Amino acid sequence: MGSAPVSEPLLRLRGVTKIYEPDGQEVVGLEGVDLDIHSGDFLAVMGPSGSGKSTLMHIIGCLDIPTSGSYEIKGIPVSRLSPEELARLRNREIGFVFQVFHLLPRYTALRNVELPLLYAGVGREERTGKALEALRAVGLEDRRNHLSNQLSGGQKQKVAIARALVNRPSLLLADEPTGNLDTKSGDELMEILTRLNGEGTTIVLVTHNQAIARRAKKVVYIIDGRLVAKEEYRELRE
Amino acid sequence: MNFFEYARVALESLKANRLRSVLTMLGVIIGVAAVILLVSLGEGTKNYVEEQFAGLGSNILIVTPGKIETRGGPPVIGAAKHKLTLSDSRILEKKGYLFGGVAPVVFGTAEVRYGSRSRNVPVLGVTPSFSPVRNLHVEIGSFVTESDVEAKRRVCILGRTVKRELFGNANALGQIVKVSGGRFRVVGIMQRKGVSLGIDLDDIVFVPVRTAQDLFDTDALLEIILSVRNKNDIESAKELAKSLLFKNHNRHEDFTITNQAAMLSSLYTILDTLTYVLGGIATISLLVGGIGIMNIMLVTVKERTNEIGIRKAVGARDRDILVQFLLESTALSSSGGIAGMLVGVLGAYGIRLLVPKLPVEVPSWAIVLAFTFSVFVGIFFGVYPARKAAALHPIEALRYE
Repeated sequence: MGSAPVSEPLLRLRGVTKIYEPDGQEVVGLEGVDLDIHSGDFLAVMGPSGSGKSTLMHIIGCLDIPTSGSYEIKGIPVSRLSPEELARLRNREIGFVFQVFHLLPRYTALRNVELPLLYAGVGREERTGKALEALRAVGLEDRRNHLSNQLSGGQKQKVAIARALVNRPSLLLADEPTGNLDTKSGDELMEILTRLNGEGTTIVLVTHNQAIARRAKKVVYIIDGRLVAKEEYRELRE
Repeated sequence: MNFFEYARVALESLKANRLRSVLTMLGVIIGVAAVILLVSLGEGTKNYVEEQFAGLGSNILIVTPGKIETRGGPPVIGAAKHKLTLSDSRILEKKGYLFGGVAPVVFGTAEVRYGSRSRNVPVLGVTPSFSPVRNLHVEIGSFVTESDVEAKRRVCILGRTVKRELFGNANALGQIVKVSGGRFRVVGIMQRKGVSLGIDLDDIVFVPVRTAQDLFDTDALLEIILSVRNKNDIESAKELAKSLLFKNHNRHEDFTITNQAAMLSSLYTILDTLTYVLGGIATISLLVGGIGIMNIMLVTVKERTNEIGIRKAVGARDRDILVQFLLESTALSSSGGIAGMLVGVLGAYGIRLLVPKLPVEVPSWAIVLAFTFSVFVGIFFGVYPARKAAALHPIEALRYE
């Protein structure tokens, strides 16, 4: 399964290690992760809670930088970037979808979607146009003037997807996007993600749910901060 | 993200916590209002004093008999106790090339009677130069003339109040009044001048100086008022007067020359200082208001940690977050500043209505200063919370519930 590997991957992780020191005690979040993600991929990262999949997502999403190892987006070495440049990468290259939606509650759906454009310095009219287009892509154009806390969970997550896509990023990063949704909304959401991937969006999905992971084109397994083979994962899980 | 977006976000956030915003602003409102009110009060006091001295004329030196010892201690026994006479004023007039006018004044009080009405008033014996030097002018008729003085004519000029009390609305000009029993012809009525330093300038009768000397049976002068032609010459004019009088008094310095302008200017300096001190004290309350802003901004940053995380995740730079919160604190303080300005100005007008004697005035510099300072307070006390917000790690911020 999966598309044929392209010569240059979109994301390249080599020996990525992340060590936390919350109280002077070293905690290993990730250990020597090698991973290539190509343009057009739909990759699921599976792992139990505490396995390091969130850490991986934060590093892929440029919310954090690795302690050691290298990570490149389109050939740009991320670990050497300043906080300002990381913000720019998050803004232009990555769209986030979180389990708990993370919408601004007092903002309308439209303004939530506009947010990344705001920080990209896009002018008002163009901003509204692009945000409406993104809302249309997830079928929520008619909810544009609803405050986000007036929306159902499924609708919130669709708004989040619209927000993630509005800047046309290289990568859509979803962290347990169906975790707070009922089955029906979850299915609907996965259909949207599948469709978006069909239209060319690269997606990395972090989940501990086998059924969700199965919708991806490719699955990697992570346990105790290391990527492991499917069989090893099964063994360790049982 | 452009400025208007930041401003919009800031205002929305203030509106979302309306009561809290207003309470926080209250500190600034009180501070700014206090600055404006107290400075206005100080300025009003200065105006009041200025008004009191306004009738005095400018560039004035006043010669009074006797030496005022500034060193204290008992007066030297046997020191010549000379009086000022017309001979002194004549010398000053003749040789005082720096003087614009020399006005000798004889003072006494007398009963002035017209028909059945009488009034006890101060009577000033003066020369024609008194009018320009002291800036007191007749409204109708004429002032004392040179020939009135020379001929010791029994003529008088009435102050407005004296005229009203004796004549009511009737014509006084040309009428005969009795001053200490003597018959005097009214030749002029003074312009209304009001009260200055507790003396009602309208309740005075003027007569020629030598007539007054006869009337009060004295050759002593109350004072000699000198006007100095050029403002810059005041000090040299004072020295000139001193040396002329010194010679005329057989080398005794038994007179005092007072420079009114110098006295006034030091008084004004004191009043200005008072105004600044009052303003300074009020500024402290503005600082306290600033601490209130910092406090509430810290709470806001804490409450909106998740929002900060979201903004950072979608690409907000530290600078964007910093400016957003800085603008919020500045919006708080400057809207407090505007409201405080209104309260202060209205309060100043309120005092003016309640105490009409005190001409309270709101100086425009106080308004500009108070407002500018309130904006500055918002920035200054907003920097720490805003930096705290900007420095939040996106992941920690996103996790915060």
